[in-house]
Amino acid sequence: MDEFDEILQDFLVESFELVEKLDEDLVELESRPDDLDLLNGIFRVAHTIKGASSFLNFDVLTHLTHHMEDVLNKARHGELSITPDVMDVILESIDLMKALLDKIRDTGKDDGIDVEFVVKKLDAISSGEDLSNVEEESSQNASQESQEAQNNAEEETSSDEIESSSESQSDSAEDEIDYENMSPEEIEAEIERLLKQRQEEDRKKREAKKKKQQSKDDKKEEKQEEAKKQPPAPQPVQKQQTQAPKKESPKKQTANAPAKKSAPTVEQTIRVDVKRLDHLMNLIGELVLAKNRLIKIYTDVEERYEGEPFLDELTQVVSIVSIVTTDLQIAVMKTRMLPVGKVFNKFPRMIRDLSRELNKKIELQIEGEETELDKSIVEEIGDPLVHIIRNSCDHGIESPEERIAKGKPETGTIKLKAFNEGNHIVIQIDDDGKGMDPDALKQKALEKGIISEKEADNMSEKEAYTLIFRPGFSTAAQVTNVSGRGVGMDVVKTNIEKLNGIIEIDSEFGKGTSIKLKIPLTLAIIQALLVGVQEENYAIPLASVLETVRISTDEIYTVEGKSVMRLRDEVLSLVHIGDIFEVERIIDQGEHAYVVVLGLGASKLGIIVDNLIGQEEIVIKSLGEYLKGIKGIAGATIRGDGAVTLIVDVVALMDIAKEVRSNIVSSQSQEGKSVSNEKNSPSDYRVMIVDDSKTDRTIMRKALEPLGITLVEASDGQEALNTLKNSDEMFDAMLIDIEMPRMDGYTLASEIKKYNRYKHLPLIAVTSRTSKSDRMRGVESGMVEYITKPYSADYLSSVVQRNIKFKPEFLS
Amino acid sequence: MSDKLKEVISKQQKQQESSDAIITEDIVQLVGFIIGDEEYAVPILSIQEIIKPIGWTRVPQTPDYVLGVFNLRGSVIPLIDLRAKFGLPHKKINDETRFIVMKSGDEVAGFVIDRLTMALRLHKKDIEPAPETIDGDKTVIDGVGKRDENIITILKVDKLLKRDF
Repeated sequence: MDEFDEILQDFLVESFELVEKLDEDLVELESRPDDLDLLNGIFRVAHTIKGASSFLNFDVLTHLTHHMEDVLNKARHGELSITPDVMDVILESIDLMKALLDKIRDTGKDDGIDVEFVVKKLDAISSGEDLSNVEEESSQNASQESQEAQNNAEEETSSDEIESSSESQSDSAEDEIDYENMSPEEIEAEIERLLKQRQEEDRKKREAKKKKQQSKDDKKEEKQEEAKKQPPAPQPVQKQQTQAPKKESPKKQTANAPAKKSAPTVEQTIRVDVKRLDHLMNLIGELVLAKNRLIKIYTDVEERYEGEPFLDELTQVVSIVSIVTTDLQIAVMKTRMLPVGKVFNKFPRMIRDLSRELNKKIELQIEGEETELDKSIVEEIGDPLVHIIRNSCDHGIESPEERIAKGKPETGTIKLKAFNEGNHIVIQIDDDGKGMDPDALKQKALEKGIISEKEADNMSEKEAYTLIFRPGFSTAAQVTNVSGRGVGMDVVKTNIEKLNGIIEIDSEFGKGTSIKLKIPLTLAIIQALLVGVQEENYAIPLASVLETVRISTDEIYTVEGKSVMRLRDEVLSLVHIGDIFEVERIIDQGEHAYVVVLGLGASKLGIIVDNLIGQEEIVIKSLGEYLKGIKGIAGATIRGDGAVTLIVDVVALMDIAKEVRSNIVSSQSQEGKSVSNEKNSPSDYRVMIVDDSKTDRTIMRKALEPLGITLVEASDGQEALNTLKNSDEMFDAMLIDIEMPRMDGYTLASEIKKYNRYKHLPLIAVTSRTSKSDRMRGVESGMVEYITKPYSADYLSSVVQRNIKFKPEFLS
Repeated sequence: MSDKLKEVISKQQKQQESSDAIITEDIVQLVGFIIGDEEYAVPILSIQEIIKPIGWTRVPQTPDYVLGVFNLRGSVIPLIDLRAKFGLPHKKINDETRFIVMKSGDEVAGFVIDRLTMALRLHKKDIEPAPETIDGDKTVIDGVGKRDENIITILKVDKLLKRDF
């Protein structure tokens, strides 16, 4: 059973790959119906799948592919020309084939899907009948026939399915329905082919066994082997079947050519479980964090031991570790990369179907399909692209008549382009259709109540284009089944934003539209801008940051309770990051602020922060189940110093910002609200003594103790600041020495003044520095009194009493 | 190895197994700690580790008892203040304060407690279910353990780890 499963897995992986290729080739074939190479390639795919599926007892699939093969074989020999109608049927049968493969993948069986209808059509084509006849006929018989076929198939699959031995091979061969219709030569050929095939399968099986140690088989190698083995299989068939020997020579060439070509470029590839790659990526994440930490420690060490010889060595080691880590990260990222062509592949087919359905002539040009993207992203961008391309076909490209009337070429062009731009990949979709009319868009949005009249008036052209991404917006006058339910473009926006991507849209009325998707290369490790607000730090994904500007607070205007600023010729709405994340305003932010301009999709928002810390590579970690889904927070990361920093969810932030009313202005007036506490006893007064000398502290204490006030001591500026920060109760005054280790008196004073809470706290300098410039500095840093040592105890006491507004009744 | 020796060893093993069985059946091992004036306990097996207080990062838009997240050797773990959760006034972190990191399934969180008391073993018969006045579904109380001098409240770890906002 295990062996069977393994073969089945390989079969599925291989088949899906082949089918994908098939789609592409067939569309190309339509434009070049005479291309024998292509035709042969397509035939081989159908043939391979048929062979493998018959071996695995997927009778319905075998039945279908067998008939496809017939048609393709005829076409290959020039007995049949590939018309669009024929193509439709072939494509239809490929769709069925995909459905069957999906079914096999999910359930392990290929029953329950009706193929009879398509088989009939295929038969009709291969026997040269008129298709329309069949369609009528088969629609009558379809139900009946399919019932039978299904019953048959079910019986067969249920009895044979589990057996994997080659015994069943002969059974299934006999079961093939069409053998009566074959000529003796054909049967002979078929037998020979089956024999070869069986040999090949056996060999494959043996190989699979051999490779069991490696968890998955080497995909490419197998393919190549097949390419090598394949030619001999169809060849004998052909020798007997072809009447015109002329065609044999090109066939031989094409069959041998790929084998020869591929021989020297044997690609050494291994199939690896995605889980292992994910794990590897996690490990690298940890390493990046450790590297950040190392660099942080290194900078500290460098500061402290400047000029020491061992630093050179350390510098070298640190830089090597950091370079190797970065390289390693890139290397692992690359292992997860897939060419974006994997997504692009399905579009030629889609465009073909759409153009036939819409009666338009559309050509798709693909560029840069080899550009690589992280696997998880490749999986996510498929849907948005489908919506955008459908939209271009439906709303963008005009009908041929209209195009001719406008003097454009009859065939419309959609260009799908992918390229790298820094840490991003850009996917650009251009069409040369009718473009968008900003006024019409506004009008439409007004009618649907998506925007207000005022908003419409203030809207720039670019903003108007982005209206198409609003939920509930659809520009097509009539709803077709291609697009136009008004959900599509909305989905595009959500999906791209989920990937931290940016959408840019540009259009010229009458000339065409261009949509640009800018997507980060990977999701797990990102570049972030670290910003500070009060004492907290936040990381903003750099992908969403357009620019940062430093402004003074009077550049901020308030319009309808919202803050805005003028950024060049635009008006930018602003929101303080502290308002969004409920940060307490302890420290006064001063006259200047930094604005981080965020761009997401087509909308912009300015976030006011207190300071910019810098750019850093961060690893996204989840907050876990308990804190999942907090609005505005996308996750967390661990910084070089071991602290956790939250990562801003830009998408959610934009949403929250709409509701947050700014209180940038109001916050400044709330200062000092609870300072004036009622004093009921002398001990309610709290005074802090900051001096590095124990003796000096004792002298001051002795001078003030008679008052009965509470005294707190600190031996330097840093300690004093910490005591202030962590204290629940207010202080009424501080006595500060100027010369102290760690943090001197001036610095301490200016630090204290940053806190709204302590803005009016009287600071009294007690120092032996007597020069005028010292006094000036004291005043500048916010000291209110300047006592020079030596001083009398009474003088100190009176100065303190005056500053803390000591109630006279407590004296005595 | 002689047969006799084997016999002895297997006998010992059996004995050990049976004594283990007795422990797991009848005795619950708990770790006791103080929050406010009361002593609480959680099963020892639900504790991942107990650490001294370290810095944490506030997370916005959470109830006040969620202090934020902290870094436990590379993992980002929520930190919950049990004092605030039980409606007690805020108290400064001091030398006795500890973070108890508890886990239940995949859920992990750190809880701030005032001080640890001791690891204790309680007989199942000494544990009574939570008083009936307490709503069975919502309570974090698993039961009340009786000891010689006092009683101890046993908490439900899975309830503590469940997000309730």
